[in-house]
Amino acid sequence: MFYRLSGVHHTRYETARQLWPIPADRWQVWILLALALGAPLYMADLYLTSYMLPWLVWSAAALSLTLLMGVAGQLHFGFAAVMAIGAYTSIHIARAGWPFEIALIGAGLTAAVIGCVFGAAALRVKGLYLVMATLAMQYLVDWVIINVPAISGGAQATLQTPDVTFLFVPMQGDTALYYGALLWAVIVTVLVLNIKRTSFGRALVAVRDKDYAASIIGVNSFKYKLLAFFTSSFLGGVSGAVLAFCYYQAVTPEQFGFNVSIQLVAMVLVGGLGSVIGAYLGAGFVLLAPIFLTNAMAYAAIQGWLTVSSNLLAHIPLMAYGALIIGFLLFEPLGLAKIYDNIRKYFLVWPFRHSGS
Amino acid sequence: MAYFLELLVNGALTGLMYSLVALGIVLIYKSAGVPNLAQGAMVMLSAYFIWMFTAMAGMPIFVSIGLAVVAMFAFGLLAERLLLRKMVGQPIIMIVMLTLGLEIFLRGVGPGFLGAAPKSLDLGIPLTPIIVGDVFINRDYLIGGIVAVVLIGLSLLFFRTRIGTKLRAVSDDHVSSWSVGISVERAIGISWGLAGISAVAAGALWGSVQGVDWTLSALLFPAIAVVILGGLDSIIGVLVAGLIVGILGSVIPGYVDPIVGGGTRNVVTSLIILFTIMLRPHGIFGREDIERV
Amino acid sequence: MRGLFKGLIGTVAAAALTVTGTAKTDDDTIKFALLQDFTAVYTFVTDEYNQGQRDYLTLINEEGGIDGYTFQALVRDTGNEPQRGLEAYNRARREGAVLVDFLSTPVSRAAVSRVLRDEIVMITVLHGRGDASDGTTFPYVFPMMATYWSQAAVLADHIEQNEDGLEGKRIAHVYIDSPFGREPVPVMQELAERKGFEYRTFAYPSPGTEQSATWSDVRRYRPDYVMIWGAGGGQPVSVREAIRNGIAPERILSVVWMAETDARTVGTDVATGLKRFEAVATGTDYPIMERIMETVIEPGLGTGDSENVGTTYYNIGVASMAVSVEAARLALEEYGGPLTGEKLRDGFRMIEDYDAEGMMPPLTFSEEDHQGGGFGRISQWNGEAWEPVTDWYASYQDIVWEEIEKDAAGFREGR
Repeated sequence: MFYRLSGVHHTRYETARQLWPIPADRWQVWILLALALGAPLYMADLYLTSYMLPWLVWSAAALSLTLLMGVAGQLHFGFAAVMAIGAYTSIHIARAGWPFEIALIGAGLTAAVIGCVFGAAALRVKGLYLVMATLAMQYLVDWVIINVPAISGGAQATLQTPDVTFLFVPMQGDTALYYGALLWAVIVTVLVLNIKRTSFGRALVAVRDKDYAASIIGVNSFKYKLLAFFTSSFLGGVSGAVLAFCYYQAVTPEQFGFNVSIQLVAMVLVGGLGSVIGAYLGAGFVLLAPIFLTNAMAYAAIQGWLTVSSNLLAHIPLMAYGALIIGFLLFEPLGLAKIYDNIRKYFLVWPFRHSGS
Repeated sequence: MAYFLELLVNGALTGLMYSLVALGIVLIYKSAGVPNLAQGAMVMLSAYFIWMFTAMAGMPIFVSIGLAVVAMFAFGLLAERLLLRKMVGQPIIMIVMLTLGLEIFLRGVGPGFLGAAPKSLDLGIPLTPIIVGDVFINRDYLIGGIVAVVLIGLSLLFFRTRIGTKLRAVSDDHVSSWSVGISVERAIGISWGLAGISAVAAGALWGSVQGVDWTLSALLFPAIAVVILGGLDSIIGVLVAGLIVGILGSVIPGYVDPIVGGGTRNVVTSLIILFTIMLRPHGIFGREDIERV
Repeated sequence: MRGLFKGLIGTVAAAALTVTGTAKTDDDTIKFALLQDFTAVYTFVTDEYNQGQRDYLTLINEEGGIDGYTFQALVRDTGNEPQRGLEAYNRARREGAVLVDFLSTPVSRAAVSRVLRDEIVMITVLHGRGDASDGTTFPYVFPMMATYWSQAAVLADHIEQNEDGLEGKRIAHVYIDSPFGREPVPVMQELAERKGFEYRTFAYPSPGTEQSATWSDVRRYRPDYVMIWGAGGGQPVSVREAIRNGIAPERILSVVWMAETDARTVGTDVATGLKRFEAVATGTDYPIMERIMETVIEPGLGTGDSENVGTTYYNIGVASMAVSVEAARLALEEYGGPLTGEKLRDGFRMIEDYDAEGMMPPLTFSEEDHQGGGFGRISQWNGEAWEPVTDWYASYQDIVWEEIEKDAAGFREGR
């Protein structure tokens, strides 16, 4: 009913090829975009600044990673280091007095170049060994940031973001920062959606499925692996910069530690490898589940439903979070995107249970 | 020179203590092909078990270690039965993430129920060093090193027993093992149990050195360097690579740190992982994977 | 999968409940937000510290509050993650908290610009930015106790008094390789130049569970004194390695992060003689602690294990709240209720020679000085407990303030 398929005839290639060929999907996207655009009007600042904004930026970061891990099949356990490179580059460029736009591009380019060094390992190995290699590089980048005061910012190891303007709009106040994050999330989303249906994206998928087979049919797997690392690190670097400027407003080395890399991988996996909507759902889950669990536990304790020591109370969300990750991998390895897909498929043929064919 | 020797000896011994953590990873990978990134958390859990039996139940330390061995063997069996068995055939990244999920879960359980503040374990090892010439040898590490060598030796011997032969068959090929009547599931379960036991040894020794809290799970990183360098499925590799990782991680920082003005050991460990993967991904003693299209 | 989906809905429902359930405000309670790290890096201290804070607030409430106002602690775990800390902060601000305490350096640093904008007092007891002692640059941030710079100065002064001068002495500074470990280095370098002693730094890698290579080097340096600068599990390892390498416990001086548990991990006898910096007295022989025992612990109102009462970190927690409540009292006396962040800040600045009935050095805050003087003392492990060996004192505050002003100027310039 919602997804009315009958009567939708694509008479031109352009309409059949568009991003969402089914009208129901299209209007859902428009509604979501309208809701996101109007968020500052109806959303209390707590939800806007503590939930929506970080969720959008982390979604953009998860999208960058899913392009690499899901579409191109290159595992990466050091993506937080890539984001750190972007964040630090942008903040140093901005503090040197250059415009914010250049700082963002610089962040992306630096992250992309160094990200390609990560990628060099991918030319040699894959799978588990690539996981270990990127993990080692995460430690190296962390070490360099901490041990070079010129990067991390002297004795306090904290860099405040300077006041900047983006396209003549001063990036101050919750609303401006929110729209900055939203703009970046939309750009990355549209980009990744389109990459997936270009020859570039298809080549990446071929490399993912079997790199030897891909080279036999004429896809240069070296080139595409490196390109995948370049693109994804560029997006990751800019996401790191956006995270620093729009959300943290101060950069410290701990913000991009190893555990953040793990969180990013968890976002991609829980969301569903290679899925765009999955990146949003996964980022939301990994980012917000611990927060919701902590608040739920605290509420239960205040209401007197749960009388345990405060130490155990604080650790229950951690246990639940670990258990949820395990649960997803065991029971729905394709992630939240698959759950969404199941629901969508159900409505595609609703009110019938199965389609005829 | 004495400085170099001291760095060498203590480095080698700490390296062997890392091998204790690494041994569990190798045991599991060898039979099941699962890279167990929760091994660090299992070390932490073992240390919590030992502490629980001594401090809360008031048992002597060695009885507690014995009980912890039983508990961790059971834990290994359970983890395999309930979690990893369901993941057979999934992509490697899913399995890696599952073990990381298990790590997060355990890091909540241990400190959550037993208290997050560090606890102390006393194995009764005296603090005074063994002094040879101008070289001070750390007794904790010496005993740890001996335990590591003994356990690695036992593992090697174990693989010559009847069950061990089955385990070797399983590590060669799951399907052909099934066809000759070996229960692959049980073999993998046993290797998880053994990994639990090696975690107890690591937990007791490291717990006595640094106190028991969740930071014990951070031992995973040097242990990964050991398994990568030695080869993911080689027990003798754990011994050799442990020595190399320990020595390089002690000698190089010993000379470079004063120049750089920072702790370089994590850098050395990272570089060991990177160079191994770039030059010889399957490690010194590991078996090379042959990939077919 | 269906079950999981239901579980997910359940979680969301529970979350929605918390969202709707917490938006009420009571006018006669003062809310302090203790949004700390119970599960990640600061676990070695948070449990006892937070217990002390809440027990003290309970004590004040049991004694009838202040001017009819009672205190409420909003406690959340942040896991040392800035995004969770900021969420908890925004939520607490909405619930009307006038004071936050993150006890986590990364979270505090990310929150600095926000508390300055929102005019909410943030106390950064023994963590966070040392330069926040500059009250004119950071009007709403209160380090409250001696910064790491002041601690280093106090420790150096102690050596000077013990040895009749620092001239020609060798001091080794062994620290965890992180910004925290490196923080006191400039102060010590300045002191070394001024006093003519030799000073060398030795870093061990994080998390500090294995330091043998570093200490082989330290032994060959033959230091007269060793200052150890770490936290949590790395601390007992440092002490054990030092003793093993022939450095007498009396010559090991630790940063404030050294507690009873650490001494037990080292071995209670072996550690005898070990010295540490102390910002707050340990034990229960102080009027406040006796009242807590009587009014809070014995009737069973305590928030945690009663064995923790009187430990180092518990008492630091009590002291942090004692100062904050004192500030609230002064603010209410001066301006009347309801309390706001701005009034509370002025309350802090009105505190003069407050020593929590003998538990801590007399603190005085002013518009410029949010550190409270940088006082501390040296205490020594006697095999059973930490025993003070000096009076409260502060040293070389001129050097400390040079550092504070240098970094604060950097912050003003947008660094």
